[in-house]
Amino acid sequence: MILVVAEQRDGILNRATWETVAAAQQLADGSADRSIAIAILGSNTATAAKELAAAGAKDVQAVIVVDHAALELYTPDGYVAVLESLVADLKPSRVLLPHTYQTRDFAPMLAARLGRALVTDVMRMKTAGGDTVFVRPMFQGKLTADVSPQGPTPHLVTFQIGAFRGDQVTKGASPTPVRAMTVTLDAAAIREKPEPPFREARQAVDLSQAERIVAVGRGIKGQEHLPVAEKLAAALDAELAASRPICDAGWLPMERQVGSSGQTVAPKLYLALGISGAIQHLVGMKGARTIVAINKDPDAPMFEVADYGIVGDLFEIVPAMVSELTKT
Amino acid sequence: MKIAVCIKQVPARDWQPRPNDSKTWIVDRDAGFEMNEPDAYALEEALRLKEKHGGEVVVCSAGPARVAQVIREALARGADRAIHVEDDGLASADAFVVADALASVMKDENFDVVLTGLQSDDQGFGQTGVVLAERLGRPHATIVMEVQVVERTLRVKRELEGGWFQWVAMPLPAVLTIQSGINQLRYATLKGIMAAKKKEIRKAPAPAGLMMRQKIVSLSVPEKTKKTRIITGSPAEAAKELVRLLREDARVI
Amino acid sequence: MPEALEVDVLIVGGGPAGLSAALRMAQLGKATGGRPLAIAVLEKAREAGAHMLSGAVLDPSSLRDLVPDYEAKGAPVSTPVGEDRVYVLTPSGKIRFPITPPPLKNHGHYIISLNRFVKWLAGLVEAEGVDLFTGFPGGELLMEGDAVVGVRTGPHGINKKGEHKATFEPGVEIRAKVTILADGVRGNLTKVLQGRLGLGAGRQPQLFAIGIKELWSVPPDRLAAGTVIHTMGYPLGFEQFGGGFIYAMPGGDISLGFVVGLDYKDPMFDPHDAFNRFKMHPFVRRLLDGGQLVRYGAKALPEGGWSTIPRCYADGALIVGDAAGFMNSMRLKGIHLAMRSGMLAAETAYEAVRDGDTSAARLQQFEQRVNDGPIKRELYPVRNVHQAFGHGLLAGLAYAGFALLTGGWWPRPMKSIPGHQRMEKLAAMPNRVTDASKPDRKITFDKVTNVHFSGTRHDEDQPSHLLVQTDVCHSICTEEYGNPCQRFCPANVYEMVMDAAASRLQINASNCVHCKTCDIMDPYQVITWVTPEGGGGPRYDGM
Repeated sequence: MILVVAEQRDGILNRATWETVAAAQQLADGSADRSIAIAILGSNTATAAKELAAAGAKDVQAVIVVDHAALELYTPDGYVAVLESLVADLKPSRVLLPHTYQTRDFAPMLAARLGRALVTDVMRMKTAGGDTVFVRPMFQGKLTADVSPQGPTPHLVTFQIGAFRGDQVTKGASPTPVRAMTVTLDAAAIREKPEPPFREARQAVDLSQAERIVAVGRGIKGQEHLPVAEKLAAALDAELAASRPICDAGWLPMERQVGSSGQTVAPKLYLALGISGAIQHLVGMKGARTIVAINKDPDAPMFEVADYGIVGDLFEIVPAMVSELTKT
Repeated sequence: MKIAVCIKQVPARDWQPRPNDSKTWIVDRDAGFEMNEPDAYALEEALRLKEKHGGEVVVCSAGPARVAQVIREALARGADRAIHVEDDGLASADAFVVADALASVMKDENFDVVLTGLQSDDQGFGQTGVVLAERLGRPHATIVMEVQVVERTLRVKRELEGGWFQWVAMPLPAVLTIQSGINQLRYATLKGIMAAKKKEIRKAPAPAGLMMRQKIVSLSVPEKTKKTRIITGSPAEAAKELVRLLREDARVI
Repeated sequence: MPEALEVDVLIVGGGPAGLSAALRMAQLGKATGGRPLAIAVLEKAREAGAHMLSGAVLDPSSLRDLVPDYEAKGAPVSTPVGEDRVYVLTPSGKIRFPITPPPLKNHGHYIISLNRFVKWLAGLVEAEGVDLFTGFPGGELLMEGDAVVGVRTGPHGINKKGEHKATFEPGVEIRAKVTILADGVRGNLTKVLQGRLGLGAGRQPQLFAIGIKELWSVPPDRLAAGTVIHTMGYPLGFEQFGGGFIYAMPGGDISLGFVVGLDYKDPMFDPHDAFNRFKMHPFVRRLLDGGQLVRYGAKALPEGGWSTIPRCYADGALIVGDAAGFMNSMRLKGIHLAMRSGMLAAETAYEAVRDGDTSAARLQQFEQRVNDGPIKRELYPVRNVHQAFGHGLLAGLAYAGFALLTGGWWPRPMKSIPGHQRMEKLAAMPNRVTDASKPDRKITFDKVTNVHFSGTRHDEDQPSHLLVQTDVCHSICTEEYGNPCQRFCPANVYEMVMDAAASRLQINASNCVHCKTCDIMDPYQVITWVTPEGGGGPRYDGM
């Protein structure tokens, strides 16, 4: 059995959970024991559990709900205690988790407690001769490694956000049964006392957290043309960023600079306007999931890393995009 | 307050590593090395805690002899002494082995706070600090953006995704992994460099029988897996098609 | 309260010259007993060796005297030169020199990585109790009258606007009885001192070249380890002088580079482009095909020889190594002379401090030691190689092989003029060819990509360390020379960009690989290279 650990906050399921289910299905496919269980922990998990069950995802035998007042807010001690006993009960062959900030907080502790291998930040899997190796970045993405977890099972694996697609989970007709599991959890034994999460208006620009980025390069020609890019950023709910020459010239502040001497970013969408793609820039953004290049020069190296490219004048294309995006 | 900070020496950020012939590790003979960036922030935070609350800062590092370079740098910035678990195998070891090696020399020191970077710029497991906490039997918090100490309680601000944060309190002793950018790094001073020479660096062997929990089967330079789709047509047509693709194909907007 | 420090001897620059001086002085202290001298070395690189760039073939004669048991001490000199070859390249072929000209014979020498060698030397120096301050540039000289009394290190933590950041650390005054300037080719402090005291009076002006080098990893069977190849000819014509080098190390590591005299006439000439053409020559290309670029770098070298070495002593100061010009361009070697000059300066400074007399008159003994020892023995006989060319091709031909390599030995009148003065105005060169080669991004690269492989990093938020009087750029320089800074800089620091209607000089100071070419070659001499924040610059690991 493969155990997927779902993630929720305030009863709302984190979408990355579906990506992990997709990964689990891929792993289950072709193995003798195809069964998958999804565990969800919290104190108000009914809605999220229902959502998980409703999909009736292929091979998922059960949605296991661990509801406990002490799990209202996430704590590593609480989560590890519950998952440790779940693993003891279910004896899964693998425990899969999304590589979220929350998982990063407790998964290594769970692995250490269980004495089991943990492979983090996995981008894809390869199976060869019955052995599965997990492909993950190393050296900040400059290399990729095929990694084989060692030692007794269950092996723990966390998947990079966006590496699998949640919408590719194979669904079934009938909902998955939901099973409540009671655990004994001593609230007093939880050493961490969390306060409710809060949103903070960031003082500084934090491009590393941005989901979408519109970046401008020399092709923007002058500071007076920046509004062209700003309008597109607004229409896409994106942050504005730039290559070094733009910040060097003082057209945008330095904290908006992407590249080896600026920020390293990994947004879902990186739209490069008039950026040729010097290697110094590419190392700062090639981890983006979808890259778009708009440039006059068809030989610009940016096109080599782009998923979509338009060879042309950004001053014509960008306003057309804005009007397309704002069309209702 | 007795503060430990665990630092790792990693290849310089701008260097492009190459896999070795067996593709199980990198050719590092031409590599330059430097302090893992998040660890540098952890060190700075440790020094600030010491300035506020008194005590000492002890640098702990696990790695081959060359690690002495970053240990000296940390001492020059103001750490008081250092412990170096020295073993060539630690350069490519996994997080469990490194955490066990560190724990072996840290157990008896009874540190109040252990700080380290949230992950390393080389293998990037993001596990060592947390595994170390478990080995030392301490609570922990990761991706920490602010640290407050009130008597024997630690209150830290953790970064969550998407602009969310959370304060978490826990009793001392504890282990924290520090996010880059939490503070501004100080520069080493001439006096600091001179003082560092007189500071103690204790060397210890790695404990016997440590087991790697993951094996690198093959290391490679990432190949471009995607094919660039060039969109043609008039600017208006191309813009329209691009927006459609971003919505329906890439699903990023 | 800013830090202040007092030492007996301060050495500025932790290269072969500076470190040899430090080591020799520590050895003398140990041998003679008594109070050990307080010795400090300032090095602007973040780590010892990080700014070191050379071919490099090492003549171990000075090393043997400085560290007799260098092999036992693990000196990284493991590749003895096995075979010397000299080729004349034509656009598509090559002609091998039937014999290797004697000055280019390298039997008994080693192919080394100067970066690794200097790192090793730094270890020995530190083990002797010398304070090696890496990440601290010599910002300015402390002077009392004509006497050098120390150096102020460059400050840390100043932003682009010149304001102090929260982490600001002021420069430190280090006062010393003797300051040894080992700040390398066109050293910023040496330049100031030489100007101020007129140390070049009665000597020829220094002549320079630029060397551009890459480290490659290629299949190991391409070239036997220990092979040393020098080339001349293509891609340079008669107008310019220089040549290529290819040194093979074990495991398929290849060091290759191209040296061009910084006295070329054509303002449109680009040394980096010449380097790329050299690499695209079928002979070189075959070596590199399928290999990988590991590292890139560039550095100027002093090629003028004996007659251009300035007075190397002043009250409280000595000048050694490339800063003084101790380099034998006939043999393409300077490391052993840099080391030797450092050792001799150390002996002079040691005795001067011991006897409490560090005046210029006393420190003149350094010159004596240079004159009486192996440095003069090596450099003096080749001081007139100019003349060999001046007196006709036949005489020059004997030296042609190596002279062409270096660019230093151009048939010019005995009185050499600085290279930048030889640059012709565009108007005087109506028939020049302007087809810059296009990098293929496999064997050849553009400058920006190359800079990435130099590992260069500077804190972006600091004032530019290239002081340029930009008023000439847009007007007369554009017209007269077409802004040659854009071309002679091998790191894309200088760019003329069009803003709206006007052009503007953009200085990408954080690209700077500290080669000093701009300070040397600018035709108006309006570029001054000063030290950036300590720790900034290239990372020449393995170079």
